[in-house]
Amino acid sequence: MGHYSFPFVAVIGQERVKKALILNAVNPRIGGVLISGEKGTAKSTLVRGLADVLDGMEVVDLPLNITEDRLIGSIDIETAIAEGRKYFEPGLLQKADGNILYIDEVNLLSEHIANCLLETVASGVNIVEREGISHRHTTSFILVGTMNPEEGLMRPQLVDRFGLFTEVHGEQDCRNRTEIIRCRLEYERSPGAYRQQWQEASRALAERIGRARDLLPKVQVSEAVLSLAVAVARQAGCAGHRAEIIIIETARAIAAFDVRLEITEDDIREAAGYALPHRMREPVQACGNNVEEEPEKPADTREKGTNPGADSSGSAPQNIHDRDISEITGSHDADYPDSGQLERESLEEPSGIFDAQIADLRFNDVRRPRGSGKRARVKASSQQGRYIKYRFPKGKVTDLAFDATLRAAAPFQKVRSEPGLALVIRPPDIREKVKEKHTGCVVLFVVDASGSMGARRRMGAVKGAILSLLGDIYRKRDRVGLIAFRKDSATTLLGITRSIELAHKCLKELPTGGRTPLAAGLAKAYELLKIAKVKEPDMLPYLVLVSDGKTNVALNGGDAVKDAIGVAEKIRCEGINCMVLDTEEGYIRLGLVRNIAEALNANCVKMDDIRANRITSNVKQLVA
Amino acid sequence: MTITHNYYIYPFTAIVGQEAMKRALILNVINPLLGGVLIRGEKGTAKSTAVRALADLLPLRDAVAGCIFSCDPDDESAYCESCTQLAADGTINRVPTKMQVVNLPVSATEDRVVGTLDIEYAIKKGEKRFEPGILAQANRNILYVDEVNLLDDHVVDVLLDAAAMGVNTIEREGISFAHPARFVMVGTMNPEEGDLRPQLIDRFGLVVDVTGEDDPVKRVEVIRRRLAFEDNPEAFAAGFTTEQQALADKIGRAKAILKDVTYSDDILVVAADIAIRLGVDGHRADITMVKTALTQAALEGRRQVIKEDMLAAARLTLPHRMRRRPFEEGSVDLEDVAEIIGGGNL
Repeated sequence: MGHYSFPFVAVIGQERVKKALILNAVNPRIGGVLISGEKGTAKSTLVRGLADVLDGMEVVDLPLNITEDRLIGSIDIETAIAEGRKYFEPGLLQKADGNILYIDEVNLLSEHIANCLLETVASGVNIVEREGISHRHTTSFILVGTMNPEEGLMRPQLVDRFGLFTEVHGEQDCRNRTEIIRCRLEYERSPGAYRQQWQEASRALAERIGRARDLLPKVQVSEAVLSLAVAVARQAGCAGHRAEIIIIETARAIAAFDVRLEITEDDIREAAGYALPHRMREPVQACGNNVEEEPEKPADTREKGTNPGADSSGSAPQNIHDRDISEITGSHDADYPDSGQLERESLEEPSGIFDAQIADLRFNDVRRPRGSGKRARVKASSQQGRYIKYRFPKGKVTDLAFDATLRAAAPFQKVRSEPGLALVIRPPDIREKVKEKHTGCVVLFVVDASGSMGARRRMGAVKGAILSLLGDIYRKRDRVGLIAFRKDSATTLLGITRSIELAHKCLKELPTGGRTPLAAGLAKAYELLKIAKVKEPDMLPYLVLVSDGKTNVALNGGDAVKDAIGVAEKIRCEGINCMVLDTEEGYIRLGLVRNIAEALNANCVKMDDIRANRITSNVKQLVA
Repeated sequence: MTITHNYYIYPFTAIVGQEAMKRALILNVINPLLGGVLIRGEKGTAKSTAVRALADLLPLRDAVAGCIFSCDPDDESAYCESCTQLAADGTINRVPTKMQVVNLPVSATEDRVVGTLDIEYAIKKGEKRFEPGILAQANRNILYVDEVNLLDDHVVDVLLDAAAMGVNTIEREGISFAHPARFVMVGTMNPEEGDLRPQLIDRFGLVVDVTGEDDPVKRVEVIRRRLAFEDNPEAFAAGFTTEQQALADKIGRAKAILKDVTYSDDILVVAADIAIRLGVDGHRADITMVKTALTQAALEGRRQVIKEDMLAAARLTLPHRMRRRPFEEGSVDLEDVAEIIGGGNL
């Protein structure tokens, strides 16, 4: 398909992105580039345009919905059926060999595909042991990814696999912006002619890259340059040796591109600007008081093959400017298996793999609720989500993976026959789909709005907390809801939502005052979470109770405390993670809410001074 | 224009009110590069009626005979694999076709959206073949996504990708294939039922908010027309032949002159200025605004963009891009935009 792309050389601005891409083309050993930035900033345009200025290299697209078989390769079914012989049919990893492998929205890539990719990128070999095929081939490619950090986080291991990192922003200069509009309009009016206009410039750049490539082996790396690179990497606190190696390779490319044989100090500095941002160790501030700063471990990650991200907690680039470390250290790392486990994974692992690896050892939060601490953001099931790979069916097959079944059956077709059919499938051939779905958690606030305790201020704080959580957890696909209870009943102020607009609209002043129907509040929460669970079985429910526990309205005119504890126990039985924020104030404290907390199997945190950010950080720890 | 029907479609020109929505749709069929329309509003506001009615109004256009992607015979750069082959053999045949409205239901599974392995063919012949999905049908047509905010995230990702690239790339279930997928995406959503990811909203060129008609006189008219249509669609449609033809001609003329519409430098400067002041993400806002203004001028039969075109374009392209981050209300609103446009040397 002759698909036109906007010429690389015609893109205005974004010099750093262009340079990073060019340097990779000059020296493929740099190991690719990750481009991060807001929407509509020519990220994809530049990558796709790159093919124009590369001689003999193509840009191979890795679509987000790729299945495992197409990534690593599988049995060639047509020959298997026709000849009864098993041949390897290459996947994208082979097609990408010597080319550019491009992943748009790489932060949305499914967990399993990312694992397969990491394995190959790390070792340079794709080992296929599946479906009766035993095959291995070497492959090396320039890995290029683009992402919009607003849409989701990325695991450190994957981030580290990209040699360079650049950020893009929209142009802020009015004249340049005007020029950008003009170029785009011109291009769209007549893509062919526009490309023609830039052909000369494209060719010139391609030639310059070609010359730089020839020159590259001759570029000298002096001792002084080596020590400088090491010093720079150390200063940035990068674990492992990868950083300095990439700095050197990048600096060589810079020198070659400038037709120089000597690397200068400036080259190193420029190279470091591309190679370090995503590898810099966070200055580990504690998340609460539960994290002990780890001593720097100069682990030699390179020799172990894949172990880059294990120590560098939160090296995801989008967090560099993010002051809130607790989120990264608490949840981000915990969600992903460390790379030691990655190595052990075979391609045919059992389906429960995504549930099993939440070894959150380093951040052992003492305030963490007991009960089910198991959590995962990605669930593998055969019901909903994106088809990633297949498995042998357990019991009744609900979701047939036809392609896998076909591959399993193909080699036997020579000896099976059925009139009118080219293909005969027997029960042992049957495979079913494994699908991957991102699940978020639902944080439901149950707030006491009774008259006893200055509820107005409290509600303000809780609303503030909900809104700030909503903004923050958007990219994790989490949701929140709010129930308030006062007088005789509980009201759902905000249904479970991730809609910021809706939250704004619903969270108006709630009238406060009246008695405290705690049991009703909990019962309402129980109902809401149960319904949500039915709609979405993989969802992880959390409940945050904000109250002083002075309940005085029962459900049906019985004992108020007993009722509340009864409902609390029901909630516990559902395996809902809970937290209680105790709002009791003053000198004499009854500690009533502690009984409720116990029944909920929840942690009880005292809130002497209600502030939205305090609630927020507590809740973050709960869900982390 | 000769159209033969077994059933009748409510005439576009008979829709009462909803001017913004009608205009947004018309602009998109004149210039398919605008990037679609997102229609936000409650149920029962003639959203899907309008989309279907508009497609019905359009004149026939040529497609490559037998091509499942309805490739444009005159655009070689966007040929699918088989059309490229046909072109090489010199056997491209043209056939006039209508623009279709292809539905993407909320329940659509990913394999049906992108296409998948043809199971029947594989069993009968023992060979792999691509079974086209909704995106294949959508090429050069209108893709209508009802309740787009309720779609599964991963289906949305696929849509985004195809919409951005104009190509649907499939690497799954043993199939490796790519085909053109350029479509006008029309999405509807009820904001009460949840948000759309900012990334997806941004991909929609234009956004309009619709509400039910408030004016009692017009409301009565809505009902009266609907009843008349249901009573005797043929006669009802016949009553609007003149209007329909006039609009079809207007669209046809606009398409013809779109390439000739010129703009002053000031137009571009104003657009860039607005985008910077609003703090929008990326460059899509200003580019789309100017493109919409050009299309608007063409629709009005003008070959020069004027202030009013920019204002109309700003109303359709900016509101959904105004708020940069959650909770940071945009400090500039549409009135300011109008002022900037008014103050420009246009």
